[in-house]
Amino acid sequence: MTTNNDSTRVKGTSIVKAIIYGNTAKYFGQKRSEDGHTHKWSVYVKPYLDEDIGTWVKKVHFKLHDSYETPTRVVQKPPFEISETGWGEFELVIKIFFQDTSERPVTLYHVLKLYSNGSDSELNEQPVLSEFYEEIIFQDPSTYMKYVLNDSLSNNPQIAKENLHYEEIKKNTVNQLVKARKKVQDLTVLYKERLKKLRETIDKYKDEICALQSQCSSSTLR
Amino acid sequence: MTEDIRDILDIERGSGPQISKDEILGTNKKKVSLLSGNRQNRRPEGMAREVFALLYNDKKDVPPVIETESGPTYKLQKARLGMRRVRPWVWAPFVNPAREDSVAFYHWRRVADEGKEYPFAKFNKKIEIPEYTDIEYKEHLESETWSREETDRLFDMCQRFDSRFIVIQGRWNYGEYENAVKRTTEDLKDRYYSVCNTLTKIRGGNINEAKMFDAEHETRRKQQLERLYSRTPKQIEEEQGLLQELRKIEARKRDRDRKTQDLQKLISAVDKQNDSRKTLKIDKKTPHHRKRITVPVRPTRVDPNNFEATTIKFPDIKNSGVSTRSQRMKIPANVSQKKVKNVEQALQSLKIKLNPISTEETCQNYNDLRNEIVLLNELKAVCTSSDFELQSLKHQYETLNPNGVFKIPSELMEELASLSTDEEGNETDIIIKQEIIDDLDTEDVHPIPETVLEL
Repeated sequence: MTTNNDSTRVKGTSIVKAIIYGNTAKYFGQKRSEDGHTHKWSVYVKPYLDEDIGTWVKKVHFKLHDSYETPTRVVQKPPFEISETGWGEFELVIKIFFQDTSERPVTLYHVLKLYSNGSDSELNEQPVLSEFYEEIIFQDPSTYMKYVLNDSLSNNPQIAKENLHYEEIKKNTVNQLVKARKKVQDLTVLYKERLKKLRETIDKYKDEICALQSQCSSSTLR
Repeated sequence: MTEDIRDILDIERGSGPQISKDEILGTNKKKVSLLSGNRQNRRPEGMAREVFALLYNDKKDVPPVIETESGPTYKLQKARLGMRRVRPWVWAPFVNPAREDSVAFYHWRRVADEGKEYPFAKFNKKIEIPEYTDIEYKEHLESETWSREETDRLFDMCQRFDSRFIVIQGRWNYGEYENAVKRTTEDLKDRYYSVCNTLTKIRGGNINEAKMFDAEHETRRKQQLERLYSRTPKQIEEEQGLLQELRKIEARKRDRDRKTQDLQKLISAVDKQNDSRKTLKIDKKTPHHRKRITVPVRPTRVDPNNFEATTIKFPDIKNSGVSTRSQRMKIPANVSQKKVKNVEQALQSLKIKLNPISTEETCQNYNDLRNEIVLLNELKAVCTSSDFELQSLKHQYETLNPNGVFKIPSELMEELASLSTDEEGNETDIIIKQEIIDDLDTEDVHPIPETVLEL
């Protein structure tokens, strides 16, 4: 933190960091008799690339359900992960603090997933995974933050092996979206043409009716 | 009031003076002793202040059976009659200057008014009617339509009846003058005023004082009034009806103008969307030239008056600081729930997941897609309302034109027929939609069905 005093923002710079957050869960196989817990789970925040996330993330707060002892768990160094046992699903609040303490923390919300198909489904011992891809955008970071953010990229990290499947999802999603857009746009053009026709017809009819009405009124006057 | 505040603030009720109604009104005479003698009743422990306030607590007497309020009121002060000294009146004679016989009558009058002129005398106004000499008449006042005798008689009558021309006209052909030339009020006035004006002129009077009288105009004015007055109820009704029709026509015209304007906006928005789509395609093909291509895209962004008015404005975080990509895909809270629901429905039928993976490219496309859906939904809504409008027009047309009193041109019949195919088109649209959904799973681009192309 020796360079922390260099906190002037670098205007026009935008650095994007991809992260993965989520949870894994595994069924005990039976209900634990002493507290009724059924699952062991862990929740985590990890980098998308194979980099040292600790260079730019200072700490991560995991806010658990209030029924847990000390519901706010603070992890000071990577891996940013906590493990617990439990029986219910709830919404976790994950707060990511950055090395530059003047930068506000980012808050993520994650619903802890224990049951693969809703809580009523049959329990099996297959582990459950629920994780999400997110991008954190640093707009005009401080000189220090910029340095730290780029530092972890110095050895040109590749996408972490376990995250490789996200590339496929990205590609497919974009394809889907582009295709959907095309459909909507085509339909819009059709509707527009139809509307033009409709308006033309309506205007024509209106003129006709106006003419008729004036004829009618003039004839009754006579 | 002060007691309440003291209670609320939990201050001991002070021994200071209690403000009462009597004190405010200033009739604090005998009750002082009563008040000070009865201060023992404090609020019991645990009783709510509001409840305690309901108790009769002013003085510990039994309340009176009949109303005893006798303090000063506003009304008494208002009605102070007979406070001044009476002014004496006397039975006195008076002379009315309007009378020429100077008879004295008697009446009651104030002593103070003695010697003053009879107060009603001022209402005896006399009009000065100008007179002319023989020479003046011969030189200036000769007229082709008016004889000297007639003019004389007119001026005489003006004198007698104080220029009340209606009366004069009523008496013009009366009695011995039964055979005199018939004159209208306007004729009489015209002659009188022209003579007066000529006299002022030849005597060197102020021309500005000349009296203007336009007999022709006056005649027309009276005619018009006469006509307006003698309208039959039926005529009045018809006039009202016509005015109402006019208003209706104007309203309809305004309505139509407004609609076409809205439509024009929508159509231009669609056109713009198509434009931006084209540039988007180029954008994709040549990613290296991104900088240059942003220029043609600009206009749609900058021009806010129609395109952005209807679409969702997604948060475009430009401020310095940290944010997440998914924040940029959130629909702002000010967008109506209905709109959001419609968009979500469309997304569902397009089989697009609600929160796609948040990369820059998906974020952009996802936001654009949703805006395009908004536009499409709006277009659809306008189409539907136009359909209704056409239907009602058709109905109106048919009722206006029942059994061929006016013949419908054959081409109009064709128009109606093609309209019904339009309605079918509406149904095929739904089918297309279904196909679009199916398409999404397969890779190839599905051609648009021909039935729709005919639209």
